[in-house]
Amino acid sequence: MQDAGRGALSIRGIVISAVLAAVAILLGATRVGFIPTPTGIAATIMHVPAIIGGVLEGPVVGAIIGTIFGVYSFFYATVPMFKDPIVAIAPRIFIGIFAAWTYWSLRRMSELWAIVLAAIVGTATNTVLVLGFGVARHYLPAKVAWVVGITHGIPEVVVAVILSVAVLLPWKRAHRGQARARV
Amino acid sequence: MNEFELLRNITIGQYLPADSYLHRLDPRAKILAAILVIAAVTFTPSLVGNACLLAAALALVRVGRIPLAYALRGLVPAVPLLVLLAVMQLLFFGRNYDPTSSVVFQWRWLAVTIVVTAAVLKLVVVSAARFIELLLVTSVFTLSTKTTELTLGIESLLRPFRRLRVPAHELALVVTIAVRFVPTLALEAERLMKAQASRGGRFGGGRWHFVTRVRQLLPILVPLVTYALRRGEELIVAMEARAYTGGTGRTAYTVLASGPGDWLAVCIAAAFLAAMLLAPFPA
Repeated sequence: MQDAGRGALSIRGIVISAVLAAVAILLGATRVGFIPTPTGIAATIMHVPAIIGGVLEGPVVGAIIGTIFGVYSFFYATVPMFKDPIVAIAPRIFIGIFAAWTYWSLRRMSELWAIVLAAIVGTATNTVLVLGFGVARHYLPAKVAWVVGITHGIPEVVVAVILSVAVLLPWKRAHRGQARARV
Repeated sequence: MNEFELLRNITIGQYLPADSYLHRLDPRAKILAAILVIAAVTFTPSLVGNACLLAAALALVRVGRIPLAYALRGLVPAVPLLVLLAVMQLLFFGRNYDPTSSVVFQWRWLAVTIVVTAAVLKLVVVSAARFIELLLVTSVFTLSTKTTELTLGIESLLRPFRRLRVPAHELALVVTIAVRFVPTLALEAERLMKAQASRGGRFGGGRWHFVTRVRQLLPILVPLVTYALRRGEELIVAMEARAYTGGTGRTAYTVLASGPGDWLAVCIAAAFLAAMLLAPFPA
């Protein structure tokens, strides 16, 4: 990409950020991205597009998707905690960045494990930072945050890993020409 | 069949046409003013300050000529969550939050002690007030700004940062494409859900069936993301074929023009933020 060298966003970066941000917005707007859990607080998979964007196109794209997702969730939040820009926007910027760094540092070892760990790190970034800022802003007592972190963090990690691997592994293989039809 | 109608339930960029000062405001000035007011709400911890902010938010709704009921639509589904938040804060914070504060209420039963201090009560009120204020401010902003105005405003505001290699035009384009893609993807998601349903797939199920829900969702989500990426690849080829070169040297069809009236709004918002941060509120 010739304009990637100029420091600006490449065409690929622009479009992939946009379509994945659109997926995140769609998951939020249609409530498809919220999975109800027995505790009453929904687990979310809305952060997965940021992870996928970070793995595919690097930290900048991941940060852009996360920021758009954060701004959207701030503007249309119905949960009091997420109607606070510090809790809603700031943590989301880092999801894609940390996921991309994890993937980059591990991809030489194994493509699969790099994606798995990127999904785990990205989801953990979201959960830890959102709950951390929630505690810092006094929306949640620390004890409750721990419980929510464990009861929601773990299912979110599992779903994020499955979704990221299911999307990214075939996509990467197909683009490298390694994909084979299997019956 | 209601569950398949995704497109109809999407609320993004809901513009409410009206002839008001806020609707006519230059989007750049409006974005800056909104950021300042949101900052004022976010960083004001006092009761009196929040009363002022609530009054200011209501005044904004009035200035924007938006029906109050319309601006407060988000409040009804949030009431149970507000109550939950208040109960949680009352039950769990106790003396951990500001131990010097006086105890208002104490209740002991076996090993369980519930202590409510004045500081926690204040926290509950401020959290709820802050939510309502932000709800009003963000509603007024989204209801009085078109998405095209918003992207133009973002691009124009980021332009001075081009020297720091911030791609202003490209970021505005990302927002435009994202907003444009949401309905397309919603249609595709509907198609995928119907395809699953026609093969016997079922959606829904209560909160006790988390694993089932996830297993139902994955056959929708994986193809949806892949579809988005594939459409993205097509768009990349289309843009490259048309020699898209980014923002340098590009002129715009719509040129934003702002007058003193627009920057007055920013000045008022800045003065308001300064007043909120510096005023020695008694409580």
